[in-house]
Amino acid sequence: MPEPDHSPLDTPQSTPYDERLLLAQRTDAEINQAVLQPMMQTGMGFWVLVGFLSLVVVWGLYAWGFLVYWGIGVTGKNRPVYWTLFITTFVFWVGISHAGTMISAVLRLLKADWRRPITRGAEAMTAFALMMAALYPLIHLGRVWKFYWMIPYPNNRLMWPNFQSPLMWDMVAIFTYLIGSSLYLYLALIPDMAMGRDHTNGWRYRLYRALALGWRGTEGEWHKLHRALGIFSVAIIPIFLSVHSIVSWDFAVTIQPRWHSTIFAPYFVIGAVYSGLSALASILVVVRRGMRLQEFLRAEHFNALGKLVLVAGMAWVYFWFAGFIVEWYGNEPVVRELIHEEVAGRLSPLFYLQMSANLIPIVLLVFKRIRTTPALLLAATLLVNIGMFTERALIVIGSLQRNDLPFNWGTYRPTWVEISIVAMTFAGFALLYTLFSRVIPFVPVWEIKEGRLRYTVRRIGRLLVPTAAEID
Amino acid sequence: MTLMALFHESTDTAEVIDELHNLGIPDHQIVVITGVPYPEGALGRQREWLTLPYIVLAGAAAGMLFGLFLAVITPHLYRLDVGGHPPVGFPPAAVIIFIFTMMATIVSTFLGVLWEMNFPRFGPAPYHGLVTDGHLAVIVDIPSQLEEQVKQMLESHHAHHIGEPEWMAL
Amino acid sequence: MAKDANPSAEIHRRWVLVVDLDRCTGCQACVVACHAENNVPVVGEKQAAYGRWMHWIIIQRYWEGEYPNVKARFMPVMCQQCTEAPCEPVCPVFATYHSEEGLNAQIYNRCIGTRFCGSACPYKVRTYNWFRPEFPEPLTEQLNPDVTVRTRGIMEKCTFCIQRIRRTEIDSQAEGRIPADGEIQPACVQTCPTNTLLFGDLNDPDSRASQLARSHRSFRLLPELGTDPGVIYLKGGETNA
Repeated sequence: MPEPDHSPLDTPQSTPYDERLLLAQRTDAEINQAVLQPMMQTGMGFWVLVGFLSLVVVWGLYAWGFLVYWGIGVTGKNRPVYWTLFITTFVFWVGISHAGTMISAVLRLLKADWRRPITRGAEAMTAFALMMAALYPLIHLGRVWKFYWMIPYPNNRLMWPNFQSPLMWDMVAIFTYLIGSSLYLYLALIPDMAMGRDHTNGWRYRLYRALALGWRGTEGEWHKLHRALGIFSVAIIPIFLSVHSIVSWDFAVTIQPRWHSTIFAPYFVIGAVYSGLSALASILVVVRRGMRLQEFLRAEHFNALGKLVLVAGMAWVYFWFAGFIVEWYGNEPVVRELIHEEVAGRLSPLFYLQMSANLIPIVLLVFKRIRTTPALLLAATLLVNIGMFTERALIVIGSLQRNDLPFNWGTYRPTWVEISIVAMTFAGFALLYTLFSRVIPFVPVWEIKEGRLRYTVRRIGRLLVPTAAEID
Repeated sequence: MTLMALFHESTDTAEVIDELHNLGIPDHQIVVITGVPYPEGALGRQREWLTLPYIVLAGAAAGMLFGLFLAVITPHLYRLDVGGHPPVGFPPAAVIIFIFTMMATIVSTFLGVLWEMNFPRFGPAPYHGLVTDGHLAVIVDIPSQLEEQVKQMLESHHAHHIGEPEWMAL
Repeated sequence: MAKDANPSAEIHRRWVLVVDLDRCTGCQACVVACHAENNVPVVGEKQAAYGRWMHWIIIQRYWEGEYPNVKARFMPVMCQQCTEAPCEPVCPVFATYHSEEGLNAQIYNRCIGTRFCGSACPYKVRTYNWFRPEFPEPLTEQLNPDVTVRTRGIMEKCTFCIQRIRRTEIDSQAEGRIPADGEIQPACVQTCPTNTLLFGDLNDPDSRASQLARSHRSFRLLPELGTDPGVIYLKGGETNA
């Protein structure tokens, strides 16, 4: 164990690295317990939360049943606004899912050590967001009981699905990403399941034992796991880039004005990274508080995450502007009308909400004070997601309200069915995440221990600094 | 016979393994179990050769072929013309082929690594619970006549819990 | 067997509809006829006001000018049966495809209701069954047995009365001949009191439809989008486009 060297030069003031040094002094056994204990304690607050979320989910399921029985007409959709809140929320959830891959795959490849405590939470967010997203292609179908016609299998109808349709690309891409991120989550979980198996009993012991697959921790096993995680990290990056591009092509391949834009694919991807990282920051602030993980999720992590959100936000502004200037300048009649609606018409309150909710956090996150204060970071990142949801709503719903023949212009008003189902997925995500945090160790313990192996404490001048070894 | 010993830290473990090599015990009779992955070569043993990359490549190729079949062959099997596009166009085919290649890569990586680790394996195996609390375990198969010598060497390197390994249900 | 079922394909037809806007009075008899022929439901006033009417052919009306110099301009618009249809490639289950006689076919029992085609159509001529359609008694007696009655969740649109095309072709074939020009008439064409609508084969240079298509008055809707529609409009006078 590294010991700080107490010499007369030590001052009683705290150094920037104090928290990390404290963690360095804990034994492995203490870290195990620090992660396992909060999982066992389920207080009143936990059950109230689970109860409330379950109620919202059940109500949403009732609304979905109502929708299936009576028809899509119970929503606010009409001609020409054929796609509304369901597709908006679908795009939103796919966007949220991108943060997990950024953190666990991209940062693993870049060897950014600060990702270690947050990879599992991020990957879980990806997996659950994708599960919520995958519901929407079913929810928005007019005849959902025939959804399986989109699955390519030999059948007696003598028909294959149409692989030229972006909806088919959606289906395979989301399925691939869901499988990929779930497997990635599980693979990195196996050593911690072994740890859990060794330290628990009862139903937890049985669950962790089953999920640990007989892991012991031999050198061969670690080597293979590392290799597999390395391949996963590389392979999942093209997947995550392509998934949101494919979702954006649902819109961009049509000739609907304001949808038919080549910038959509990178614009959506960067918006997804922005929105997803913000959601991750929000979730981490809440979980850190709820599960007393203060020693694992420290100011340095929120600082780094906040900087990433800031960069993603600035990139989002660039892509938004690159798309907007071209549309504005071209002055095509319907596009001009749509821009007018958005900037000065009936949609303008939503547009200004979108822009302020996306831009204000960028300014706020410049300040380290905001990045490292959990409550302020939570406020800023929640604002980002309000803005990003509004942005998707404006793209999907706003653009459909105008088209080439003015006789076909329309409006849209949401109904209780749509709002209930959207709320159901938000509650479902939160419920899955809450249950996950009590069943699976939230912090990847083995990765943190692996990180500690690399750190020693060195003296540079008057400072005691942790230094990382260049291994692996 | 089989001996297991636990160590607190990696330098002792590496020295013990060197000593075991000096006693003529080959690598495949030594198993090192840790709760944390140690970097390559830190404990003085050779990396084993993996078939995982080849499994992944094979999986990716299979995925690409399947994607090719779906995107390029099925439109010709039961032909249906749609306006403005040929039955097989490059961009949609590229998307489908790419996605199926990546899906197969991911799945074959996962299944490949499980296969190579012989998982799931739930039977009894030599193990000790303290491993996940930060100890390093060395399990070694030695000829009986070396038992005393090895035990002395282990004790001199601060090993504890020296003895026959317990076969725990995993 | 394919040849017997579809004699038009052998002759390489391209069906078109010619709409002479000089003759259209906006009486909407075509709308009613289409409802009757194709089992198109009536959705009621409230749903129609919200934009959920189901007319496969509709008289689009635009007001021009300020009172007292207001003009109404109107034109019947139905599925344009585009050759390069933007609605066809986007259906994930091939519920809409291009038939060999130049029609944009819609297969009701294949549609799973994603509404992608509706969003992709620039003319927005596709209508959707938002609820299960109701045909209160005794309207059920009037349903056309040649046309499927659709349920909720299915997209539909003008098909150029393909059931009439087929029936005429089959009957003619039974008599050992092919249908003459003007013999096939969709419901709207048959009903129009002023002969605004005309149906014919554009690939036959002698058909009346081809001749009108070559007229100096002819135009198509939204030609800049490159959809190559199969509906040809003839410019009208004062009240029409």
